[in-house]
This record gives sequence, structure tokens and C-alpha cells, in this order.
Amino acid sequence: MDVTPHAVVRVSCGRSRREGLATAGLTTTGLLAVVVTLAIIALFIEGSVPFFREVQLGDFVEGTRWAPLHEPASYGILPLVGATVVTTGIALAVAMPLGLLSAVFLSTYAPSSVRRILKPALELLAGVPTVVYGFFALRFVTPLLQGFIPALGFWNGLSAGLVMGVMIVPYVASLSEDVLYAVPRSLWEGSYALGATRFETVVRVVVPAALSGLGAAFILAMTRAVGETMIVALAAGRTPTWPPDPTQPLLTLTTAIVNIATGDHEATAFIWSAVFAIGLLLFLTTLVLNTVSYLVIRRFRERYA
Amino acid sequence: MSGRRTRGWAFACLAGAALGVSLVVLIILIAITALQAGPITSMRAVAGAGISLSLRSMDVPGTRDAVAFVTVAQVEAGSPAAGLGMSRGDALLTVGDTPVNRPSQAWDAVGAAPGGREVTLPVVWMPRPEITLGTLRAASVEGAPRVVLSAPSESAQAGGLRAGDVLLTAGGIPIAGTRQAWEALVVAARTQGTPIELALEREGEPVLVRWDPTARAELPFVRDPLRAWWTFLTTLNEPRYPERAGLLPAFVGSVYVVLVMAAVAFPLGVAGAVYLEEYAPSNFLTRTIEILVANLAGTPSAVVGIIGLEVFARALGAGRSILAGGLTLSVLILPMMIVATREALRAVPRTLREAALAVGATRWETVRHHVLPYALPGILTGTILSFSRALGEAAPLLLLGAFLFVTYVPQGLGDSFTVVPLQIFEWATRPQDGFATVAAAAIVILVALLLLLNAVAIVLRTRFQRRWSG
Repeated sequence: MDVTPHAVVRVSCGRSRREGLATAGLTTTGLLAVVVTLAIIALFIEGSVPFFREVQLGDFVEGTRWAPLHEPASYGILPLVGATVVTTGIALAVAMPLGLLSAVFLSTYAPSSVRRILKPALELLAGVPTVVYGFFALRFVTPLLQGFIPALGFWNGLSAGLVMGVMIVPYVASLSEDVLYAVPRSLWEGSYALGATRFETVVRVVVPAALSGLGAAFILAMTRAVGETMIVALAAGRTPTWPPDPTQPLLTLTTAIVNIATGDHEATAFIWSAVFAIGLLLFLTTLVLNTVSYLVIRRFRERYA
Repeated sequence: MSGRRTRGWAFACLAGAALGVSLVVLIILIAITALQAGPITSMRAVAGAGISLSLRSMDVPGTRDAVAFVTVAQVEAGSPAAGLGMSRGDALLTVGDTPVNRPSQAWDAVGAAPGGREVTLPVVWMPRPEITLGTLRAASVEGAPRVVLSAPSESAQAGGLRAGDVLLTAGGIPIAGTRQAWEALVVAARTQGTPIELALEREGEPVLVRWDPTARAELPFVRDPLRAWWTFLTTLNEPRYPERAGLLPAFVGSVYVVLVMAAVAFPLGVAGAVYLEEYAPSNFLTRTIEILVANLAGTPSAVVGIIGLEVFARALGAGRSILAGGLTLSVLILPMMIVATREALRAVPRTLREAALAVGATRWETVRHHVLPYALPGILTGTILSFSRALGEAAPLLLLGAFLFVTYVPQGLGDSFTVVPLQIFEWATRPQDGFATVAAAAIVILVALLLLLNAVAIVLRTRFQRRWSG
């Protein structure tokens, strides 16, 4: 052994140390996602323990009166869930057809020059903050709708849901377009070769082939609508009602959180634990929905990879 | 054959129309918001439930004292309170003949549990207790202490008060100092209701006026558009009057919060993406991480807000500060950063990595010197898009704290703050039409900024995509 190989060993020693450091550092940040998720779940479970110690699970799940700040307090979650279902349903009824048709148009019919302009335009519009949509719903859509439905409240689930649907259209369109794009060209071309028109190809071949992926897009749009806060906080009002009526003010799960967290009242530890209980419900709902859609999309991609 | 073709064209038209309609609706949305510089549909009261009250202490203007107020914490839509035009933050002075000093007194006066029966008694309240006679000045007139109204408020002007009026009594209660003047006004309002009789001395003559604190004089809006916009963007916010609203504190707050968020989310996001894309073995753990990242990206922002409040503001003791706000936003943005960066890394050709590894570079050297520089434009595009998302995010910060009334420019990381979307939310919830106009103005500025950022990102991406493919 003489000097030169030794020097080489030293150099590679430094390199491998740097390599080890980089690997360790990057692995740590990679694991951060696991840690954060576990921490969130732990935080929400721990935070909502005092709540469930005090409130019977049955009263929480089946109760139809939500009045945490009144005497006597009542913690029925159904009005909140009902309100969320109503606004989400309206939003999806608007967003799914519009978004899906837009995606079909973009992937099948639009000439590439039109596509090059429309796709970025959709992305730009997806970047508009939700508080802007909320203002739009409150100050424009509601007065407009009141012309047709005189009984419509100043705050109501209908206009919040409609505007939320419009907000989600670019999101649905972009997701669905990706899914349609992932359908192999051979399927399209096989269909064309058999003499099918573009309409027949899309409706009979491509959409059935992409159905699971489109389902996943639907679920993702649903999580978006369930978790949406600012539009409902501005336009849907703050009144828990049961059964939920779209023409009247509603209190969704997200606005219930906002309501308690921003109220001027002394936020007692117990009321705060109610926030955690709602947060836990929201988080678990979106966790399940997101995971399902993620797995569906991955299976879809693998099938055509 | 022709039936098939017709059906196909009909469908093409339908699909095109759907896309067109969506785009047009969205564009109309922004345009209408932008055009709301004029008067807008006024608040419409509807029938329904009650209000909830809370105790809040208010600073007495011009002094170091504070007075306790019963304030309206929440007005349910359709309640009698909403019908009267009450809104959150208003001070409740009397219910019927009973002065209200504590929330329970209000309910005793009504004789019903909160949210219960309809209130039929006359209720006296002040919309935002900050609304007073105006700026008072203590003066000495012929040796006697006097209080002079130097800048009358909107409601005072409506009641016929003028600058230079000397205040003598309010509702029969004599006034000697600025603090007593204010107390006299509150006591008079509490015991006698409004309008309040004020005895004045104007140019040596005694004058009696009736001041209604809820009255609003029609102040003209500034109509010089360019200067108005510039002034709006560069002045402090005066929360009482829409005419004097300013966006500066919120704007500076937004910049600070996004900078803190960037300092945390950018390095962590890029590192996480590099790990998942370049280092992670293909196993169960990696797949789990991928699912969890996708999940975190889809977590409702209200839930992220709870985390921010509990972890950063409370457990780590950052309070409701810029630091806590930036960290909260980084929880929201980090998964988006990871997803965007991974896409940029995936676009780097395999051959580049293999060439580097083939000449003896270690994995880290390959990443550091070849993959990252090549992916940089893509990473920057993703970064701009996620940061512009953070700039428009209001819900998590709304939960983080009640910094809806910040009127000063934050100086450091520990200061409380507000951001532009939150300021828009606050203005949008105010019942006065003037505030809707101001909210629309802030929306125009915010959306213009975001569209600019996104357009830059999209142009960047298109350019580099072309370079890679070519």
C-alpha cells in the first residue's frame, strides 16, 4: 500500500460521508409526511377526548340540534352533516357535468391551438381564491336568485353550493382530462379504425375505459367541496337547521369550526374540544375519500401502463 | 350515417358549450366583482332565531381607559336582531329600559333564554362601539375645562354637530373632560336610549342637538380612480369607515406570511420530493408516504387551521403571530410543493441520471449537480403556483386568530397580522354597502396579483417544456 490509494480512499470517504448525510437528511424529510399525519390524528383524537367523555356518541351522531354556546348546550352533529351534504351535493351537480364535458371537449374535439389557450386559462381560474367566490355568491348570486325564488334567505345553501360548483369545474376538468389522456391511444385509434365517430369513441370506448379514474376525480371533487370553508362562511350563513333547507341559512361542518374559533365568547376548553371532534370527523372523511381515490387512480394507471 | 354524424356534432357542441359556459361564468365572476365600484344590493333581513352576546372591553378613544361592553358575538340570519341591522361587533347598550352591562342582563331583560323568544322590547345598540362623536379635544375656555369636538364623526355630522362645538351635557349629564364626555355618552345611551340629547355651545350660543349614533351621513366616495387605487393600497386601514379603508397592513402581512411559509415549505418540499423520486426504495413504506402526502394535500384548510392554532400558536407559544401564520400555511402548502417538485423531477430524462452515475458520480452528486439544475425551471413553476395558492388562502388563518381588525403595519415575526384574503372576508361580512365596494377593490388587486403570478408560472413551464422536448 503506498500513498496514492490511501488518498483516494480518503477522498471517497468524504464523498461517501456526504452521500450518507444526504440520504439520512432526505429520508428524514420523506418520513415527515408520516410523522405529520400521525401527529394530526393523535392531536385530534387527544383533543376530542374531553368532548366524547362528556357527550354521548349517540347524542353526537343522532342529535338534530347543534347549540354549543347556548344553555343548555346541545351537540347534535346532524344539522352540520346535513348542511355539508346539501352544499356538496349542489356543488357536484354543477361541477361534474360541466367539468366532465369540458374535459371531453379538450381531449377529443378541441383543435390543439384552442387547447393550448384553454388549458392554461382553466388553470388560471383554478387559482382564484375561494374568498372571492364567497363574495360573488353573497353579493351577486343570491340577489340574482332572489328574483326567481322570493323566499330565498340572504344567506342560503343554494347559492353557496352553486358557486362552489363553479369553483370546482376547473379542478374536475383538469383531473378528468388527465384521466382521459391516460387512456392508451390504441383504444382511441382502434375505435376510429372500426369506423366509429368521435362521439361514439368517447362515449362507448374511452369513458367506459376511464370510468374508475373518473370516479376518483369525482371523489376528489367531493373532498374539495366538503372541506370548502370561505364560500360557505360568507354565503351560507351560520344557523344550524334540521332538516337542512337549501333556500335557508345553513351551518356546515367547516363553518361550525370557524364559528367557534372566531367567536368573541371565552373559548372554554370544552367548546374547543367540540372543534376537535368536528375536525376529527372532517379529517377522517377526507382521509378515507382521498385514499380511495388515490388507490383507484393508481390501479387505473397501472392497468394502462 | 348522417344521424351518427349529427349526434356527434351535437355532442361536440354541447361539450364545447359546457367548457365555454364554465369559462365565461368564471370570467363574469371576476368582471362583476371588479365592476362593483358602484352601489350594490343592500342587506335584506329575513325572519328567524337569535343573537349570542359576549363581554368585550373597549379602549376609550383618546385615553388609556377601557370600558366594558356587551358586544354581539354572532347574529343569526333572520333573527329580530338581523332585522334591526345588528352585526357582529356591535355594542348592546339597553334592552327595553334596562341598561346592559353584562350579557346575562340582556337575557334577563328579554325574559327568555338565548335563542328563545322573539325580542319585542326596544333594543338600543351602537354599530361598532368605535363609532363615537368623533375626535374630542380638552380645552380651557375662560379658565373652565371644556371639551371641544374637533373632528365630528359621520353620525355626528348627520346629527348636525360641527367641528368646534363645545360639549356641555350629554343626556343631561355634565361633561368636563374627554373621558367624562365619553362616559356620559355611554351612560346616557344606556339609561335613556338613543338619540342622545346633547347640549352644546356653538360660537357662544347654546344649541341643543339630538345625536343618533346609528345614523350615517352620506360621505362622497373618492372618484379619482387612479389616485383612489393607489391611496387604497398604500394607506393604513381605518376600520370604521369604508371611505378610509386601506389595504397596506393586510398587504404587508400577506408578504411576510408567505415569506415565512416559503422559508419552511420550499426546502422541505424539494427535499421530500427528491427523497420520494430519487432515493425511496419501492416498498410499502414509500407507497404509504405517497398516499399520506396526497392526503395531506387534500386536507380541508379549516382542519389545517385547527392544527396551526393548537400546535404553533399554543403548544409552541408562537401566539397569533406572523410566525405561526407562516408555519400553518406551510403545513398546507408542503404537500403541494412535494407533488409539484416530483412532477418536475420525473420530467428529467433517465439518460441524464445514468450518464452521471456511469462516470462515477454518487447518487447525491447526480441529484445535486445534474438532476436538480435540470429540473429547476419546473420546480420554480410548481413553487410559484403553490405560493400563489398560499397567498389566496384565508380559512386556516381565519381560525388561527381574530386578527380581523389589524390597523397597523406588522414589523416583525412576532406581530399579529392580517392578510389580504382575510381582510376581504372581514369587509365582505360587514353589512354596509361601502365595505362591499372596498372588498371588491381588494379582490381586484388580489386576483390581478395571483393571475400575474400564475401566468408567469405557466409561461415559464411552456417555454421549458418546449426546450426539453426539442
